Amino acid sequence: MIDLIHVTKRFGDAVAVDDISLSVARGELCVLVGTSGCGKSTTLRMINRLIEHSEGEIHIDDQQIRAFREETLRRRMGYAIQSTGLFPHWTVARNIGLVPRLLKWPKAKIQTRVEELMALLGLAMEEFAGKYPHQLSGGQAQRVGVARALAADPDILLMDEPFGALDPITRENLQDELRELQSRLHKTIVFVTHDMDEALRLADHLVVMHQGRIVQQGRPLELLREPADGFVESLFGGEDRGLKEAALMPVSQRMLPLGPRLLARERIGQHASLREALSVMLWRHAERLTVVDDDDLPVGELSLRRLVGVRSDE
Amino acid sequence: MRPEGPGPNVVLLSLTLVALAAWLGLDTVSVAANRIVTGTGYRVDEVIGASGALATTLPWLALAGFAWRPARRHLWLALVLVVLMLSALPAWLSLSATTLVDGGQARLGIGAGIWVVLFLLLLAIIELRTRLVLPRLLGWALLLPPLASAGFCLSRWLVPLALWQEYRGRSGQFLGAVGEHLLLVGVAVGTSLVLGVVLALAMRRWPGVQKAGFGVLNFLQTIPSIALFGLLLAPLAWLSANVDWLSALGVSGIGWAPALLALVGYSLLPMVRNTFVALEAVNPGVIDAARGMGMSRGQVFRQVRLPLALPVILEGIRITTVQAIGLTAVAALIGAGGLGTFIFQGLGQAAMDLVLLGALPILLLALLVDALLGALTDILRPGGAE
Repeated sequence: MIDLIHVTKRFGDAVAVDDISLSVARGELCVLVGTSGCGKSTTLRMINRLIEHSEGEIHIDDQQIRAFREETLRRRMGYAIQSTGLFPHWTVARNIGLVPRLLKWPKAKIQTRVEELMALLGLAMEEFAGKYPHQLSGGQAQRVGVARALAADPDILLMDEPFGALDPITRENLQDELRELQSRLHKTIVFVTHDMDEALRLADHLVVMHQGRIVQQGRPLELLREPADGFVESLFGGEDRGLKEAALMPVSQRMLPLGPRLLARERIGQHASLREALSVMLWRHAERLTVVDDDDLPVGELSLRRLVGVRSDE
Repeated sequence: MRPEGPGPNVVLLSLTLVALAAWLGLDTVSVAANRIVTGTGYRVDEVIGASGALATTLPWLALAGFAWRPARRHLWLALVLVVLMLSALPAWLSLSATTLVDGGQARLGIGAGIWVVLFLLLLAIIELRTRLVLPRLLGWALLLPPLASAGFCLSRWLVPLALWQEYRGRSGQFLGAVGEHLLLVGVAVGTSLVLGVVLALAMRRWPGVQKAGFGVLNFLQTIPSIALFGLLLAPLAWLSANVDWLSALGVSGIGWAPALLALVGYSLLPMVRNTFVALEAVNPGVIDAARGMGMSRGQVFRQVRLPLALPVILEGIRITTVQAIGLTAVAALIGAGGLGTFIFQGLGQAAMDLVLLGALPILLLALLVDALLGALTDILRPGGAE
């Protein structure tokens, strides 16, 4: 879907992005992560030609991006940045309807689409449609930003630290919502962040960048378990790695079928992460948890030994 | 036990007390035998006696009382009282005129006391309007009763009022002067707006222009206005002598041409600076989003940058216009006409009331333009944002 082939970007003598190659498959959420100045934003902005690349080729659906007019290319992709990107002089509804308006959709269709998107992102039409961005909370503004990016139903979504300015709780909520949204919409998303926890939560495909180069890419668990070098390892936070890994694995992966023993009193949902299970054990001083399904019916059990035990084959 | 309610409104209270002191302590009117001699001042008690003066303190004390306990109802009462007192000022002048002036050449001058009281009462209206959160239009409507009262008194009893005498001697000339003044200001501000926007856009595109442009404009601003008129005299005179169509247009070393040129020169700096800063100061995140969404350069400028910059640009127009209204007064020196004519005539004839006839309307015009453009800026500010 999106292919970067030996792409380099120079600003004068400085090399911002150094010969990177990267493929993002259709429907995949690819996260670029790294410290500030590593070239991740530059990489993202080269995809919609806000920055022109110096060398190499960038393809969308096997077509060079330079084959399109800049504006045409950008209108095909959703673009979401920090909440500051909303137009302060336009209402929420007008902000969301921007790209459909640029594409000259008929008025009624734009109206319907705006209503649809606001519903999708949990923004009550009658409450928010007429509000201006400065009247919104950070989380609400960011939802509007995402709705605006989705407005013309683009296949590709580019997101540049969209949740960067939010408090941790709002931020986690929006991450969950994005995951949930993605499981329904299957967009091809390139997401830039400097926050490794956010990257691990969201990514199908994780790309670690450092000094303009890609140091490692792959599935989050692979990177976590086998970091290519000390830099990647340090990004994963050393001592914290165990918890980060546990956060990526669901309880159902380690639980045992219900045995002859009495059910443990403390319960945990089967979709919860091992990290959450561990937290419940620590908090409740419990060595065993009963695993329940969505209807709160016991489906298995998880012991502390099992939780920390031999890695299951995946 | 302290009764419930907000503490004293210090602003209103001090305005009231200072105004009362001015009312009792300063001359409210002066009477002069003719146009040139200095008048004799009269305090309140010298017009209506000590007991009368004591009676006039009553509304002031009431006002102070309302300010001491500024419940909402009291503030409304205070507002009504202030409007009534403003309306009573012309009546006071009428009373003084009938008591002190006995026909002939004698004239009544407005004393320092009245000016101070007028100024402080207007401040009190602003304060009350803010406290009561009145709409802008109602604030203006509050000035109607005093104006009506002034108009009525002028037509009946205020014939000896010096300012009025000066006006009646030149009523035709006066309207013409106001027209000239506004025309000069309008053309100068209009021209500098067009030039200013073009310059600001050029500066944004070419950084070289920016440096040179601001250098020249800053330099222009430092030349005193009279010197600038003088500097323009020779080249314009030469031009009009040598270029036929220019002299046919009426361009010469003195008159409207140098005045207009100088006014445009002075107006350019605030205009360019505000326009430039306004366009530059638009949040880069917003511009980035606009481009990233697929707006063309023209669309970004027309739909995002310009509307977001507009309130600040209007602010520039406001500052420039108010400044130009004042500067145009000086332009009368080189024969450009306008209200400044009265000021310089008055100075020449040592007739201070004639000076006032020029200066007061200039002041009022500046205030009026300031208020109108300020209101426009507020309207254009989207959703009251930022």
